[in-house]
Amino acid sequence: MKTRRGLAIAALAVLAAFAAAGETPAAAQSANGIEVTVDQPRITAVIGDRITIGAHVTNSGSTASDPLIAHLNVASLTGTYVDLEDWTAAPTQHVQPVDAHATTALSWEIQAVNAGRFDVYVAVLPNGLTSSGSGPAVASSPVEVTVAGKRTLNAGGSLPVVIAVPLILGGAALAARLRLRRR
Amino acid sequence: MTTLVNGEIGETATRPATTRGQGDWVVVAGQESRDLWLSGRGPLLLFAFSVLLSVFTYLAATNRAINFLEQREAVDQTLQIAIAVGVLVTLLVSADAISGERERGTLESLLLAPVSRRAIVIGKLVAALTLWFAAFVVSVPYVWVLGHGVSIVRTALLLGLGVGTLLAVGLAAFGLLISALCSSNKVSLAISFFLLLAFFAPSQLPGGLPKGWFGDVLGKISPVGSGLHYSTAVLVHGHGWTRDLVYLISPLVLAVLASAALLILSERIVRLTAGGER
Repeated sequence: MKTRRGLAIAALAVLAAFAAAGETPAAAQSANGIEVTVDQPRITAVIGDRITIGAHVTNSGSTASDPLIAHLNVASLTGTYVDLEDWTAAPTQHVQPVDAHATTALSWEIQAVNAGRFDVYVAVLPNGLTSSGSGPAVASSPVEVTVAGKRTLNAGGSLPVVIAVPLILGGAALAARLRLRRR
Repeated sequence: MTTLVNGEIGETATRPATTRGQGDWVVVAGQESRDLWLSGRGPLLLFAFSVLLSVFTYLAATNRAINFLEQREAVDQTLQIAIAVGVLVTLLVSADAISGERERGTLESLLLAPVSRRAIVIGKLVAALTLWFAAFVVSVPYVWVLGHGVSIVRTALLLGLGVGTLLAVGLAAFGLLISALCSSNKVSLAISFFLLLAFFAPSQLPGGLPKGWFGDVLGKISPVGSGLHYSTAVLVHGHGWTRDLVYLISPLVLAVLASAALLILSERIVRLTAGGER
């Protein structure tokens, strides 16, 4: 009896979770009238490609916003270690105050340096005299970036060079020495 | 060591005085180059150089966790090693060129040859530079192995040739100046080596360390450090060729000043004894 009741509760919980997921589409957050959206939901690339991530910061409030900081972040979905500095040298941009009902366009050029699936998103924080450091942070919905890998370096491929070059030069040096001794 | 009796310098002695001067440095350069390469010194240095590059290349190639950017950095590191070691051996060979001949007692016969002292130093400079060009040629396959997958081989080789040649000319001329002025070969080699280390030092400061204006100036006036910085900016950070040209000023200034000083002072400083009357 207990097992049946447990199963029923679990089924209800699952249904509730699905229903909740259906109610909240991948929409950007909004705080103090500031909302940030990305231009495209997913990008596919090959390792080494340069990708442009476009975003729009919209102020739907009735007054101009404070100066803002927009920060791009990369999160791995496959467990790959991400060093943000490798992807972009300038992840943070300072945004001028956005007028009421106005939108500011931002863009980042990033380089896909790891293979795998990644969520790239933009977080916006207030940076005014009084609001700096107090938040709230607003994040965009993620851009799903899928990077296909290609093997560009392998130990086997390097062996002919790392062995042959010293062998040839060592042989030449030895020949020069022997030639001198014979004289 | 340039021989007088059986070498081509000896042949120039029979030429009329009116034909001397132009082209004499070619004869000296040829003789010095033969001496460097056929004596086994050049091949031995290149062998050691290739072993160093092989170890580094194999370490980079066996690193399975290396990402795209780190592979570009590996190419840059290989190029930096090629430039640094290539320039080092060029400097040491030129630092030995005059003081070494003095100590071995072979400078007298060279000075008796019917060639100007300017031709002698130009010939020795060119001979020392052959070592740099040979080191560069040796580094080509290593750069190709590491860089062909990330399409930067051509850029890397052009950078290496340009920056490395600029540094090699400047430091070889500087080494010859030191060699001519020093009373002993040991002193000449020690000063040259110390100066190279001093030129390198700014490029070895930790990247995250705040350097301030003094650090920036130091980085830009050090010929070796700034040359390598330029190479990294283009190769790793993807900067355009013209964006960081300011970093090439100090290698260029060194090359021009050291070569000019060598040519102007050669008649006075290439003597049997450093600072002597002969």
